Amino acid sequence: MPPLQSNQPAMADVGRVGSLDLRYRRDGSRTILASSRCSTPWHFFPPAYLDDSGCAVTSLVNPSGGFVAGDHLSIHAALEEGAHVMMTTPSANRVYRSLGEESKQSVSLSVAPGAVIEWFPEVTIPFAGSRFVQTMAVMLAKGATALIWDSLASGRVARGERWAFTSLRNEIDLTLASGARLLERYHVRPEQEPHGFGLISAYDYVASFFVVSEALDPDRWPALRDTIVGILDSFGSDLLGGVTEPPVPGLAVKLVSRSPEALVMVQERVWEATRREVLGLARPALRHY
Amino acid sequence: MLNTLSLLHGLRFIDSFFPSGGYAYSSGLEAAVQGGAVRSGEQLSQYVGQMFRQGVARREAVAVGIAHEALLRNDVQVALAIDHELHAMKLGQESRLASQQMGRQVVKIAAEPPAAHVVLRDFYAAMKTDRTPGHFPVVLGLTLADAGWDRAETIAAFCYQTAIGFVSAALKLLPMGQREGQHLLERWTPLFDECAKEATEATTMTAWSPVQDIYAMRHARLESRLFRS
Repeated sequence: MPPLQSNQPAMADVGRVGSLDLRYRRDGSRTILASSRCSTPWHFFPPAYLDDSGCAVTSLVNPSGGFVAGDHLSIHAALEEGAHVMMTTPSANRVYRSLGEESKQSVSLSVAPGAVIEWFPEVTIPFAGSRFVQTMAVMLAKGATALIWDSLASGRVARGERWAFTSLRNEIDLTLASGARLLERYHVRPEQEPHGFGLISAYDYVASFFVVSEALDPDRWPALRDTIVGILDSFGSDLLGGVTEPPVPGLAVKLVSRSPEALVMVQERVWEATRREVLGLARPALRHY
Repeated sequence: MLNTLSLLHGLRFIDSFFPSGGYAYSSGLEAAVQGGAVRSGEQLSQYVGQMFRQGVARREAVAVGIAHEALLRNDVQVALAIDHELHAMKLGQESRLASQQMGRQVVKIAAEPPAAHVVLRDFYAAMKTDRTPGHFPVVLGLTLADAGWDRAETIAAFCYQTAIGFVSAALKLLPMGQREGQHLLERWTPLFDECAKEATEATTMTAWSPVQDIYAMRHARLESRLFRS
């Protein structure tokens, strides 16, 4: 029997081009998943409720274990008015070696008035020779709030693999209803840096944290900023971090760490402090470790 | 290639005599020195070299080139768009404010009628009505394009002026003298050329200098400061 030529491209995409579409709605004191659709390799798990805040904790599960060349995964989530969603991943985001094709993940989050999105995935680990592209677009309506964490390892540090990936492009783009925008975009190609990798070579982890909200009284940002500065400085030489006021209402944190333990601890403490100040809530225990 | 008149028209905006206020900023270098990351001219060279290759050449220098092209195409919208995008990417408050302050100082003189190009004047009008943030790289790109400089020359001049700022700050912060400062500028000159070539071709701004970005953020918290950034 001749092959079904017309279906070949679609068949080739199975397991490699997957999308996850989620819509959340506030229902009484809880946020519920109003509709969902997913295609492999995404695996859908219903939200969990780890405290009595009504926050829908969603685990983004990709059972394939990571990204291989040619993978293109996307996540689209819409939060309706007043919804509160926390998204995380059950394990590190591994990006495997590629001889040519990039692997891609694109995320788009639409956050309605009064809604809150918390994005706390585990660290991305780009293996030696990997090529990865990640884009994240967050649209915040008036009065919406976003807490966005993004972290990157230099590689499989335990086996001595550091800054050996081929290419990594990362973009986080937050846009407010007012048009104000925060954009972090980098393209790292360690092999193409003939003069070495500079000061970052002394560290194995890089992270960014953005908390953006037009809903919070502007007078409360300085106190949170001082708290985060204290947290960052408490790690001594294991970690170097800074906090600043970005071009949108909120705070931007950038840090580099020498150890995974410091990265995990600083994430927990910064998240805890931010949640308490901005949302009046304690940090949920994700039980990843 | 520049003719003499174009050279002179543009040169005054690059000259340290121009009152852009650049001498007041260290772009985080002061925090890096106090933090122990930069203690010598050699370390300064590494710090600045990396910042140029992975930061300035791929972000600010690209904005300079796109703004330059906007004036040649008579399209102020392109200049406004890159100005807004650069604003969104400048996360550090002090660095962002410094860039806007220097942009304002330059445009006030560069956009004076009647000689200034209509795109430069329209851009300044947008700045005055808060329709655009007015960052220095964009303003300089427009200004030197109006003076008749080509794109690569304009970007190289921007890189040179940025480097002058680092050396000028370093002379106050580190145990180094004028002679070593000149040696650093000489050593970096091929770098400016590389940056200009790379940025001339680029259409997308990126930046990867996390350690330098962190020091720029930490500057605001220093107990004693000579510089405003």
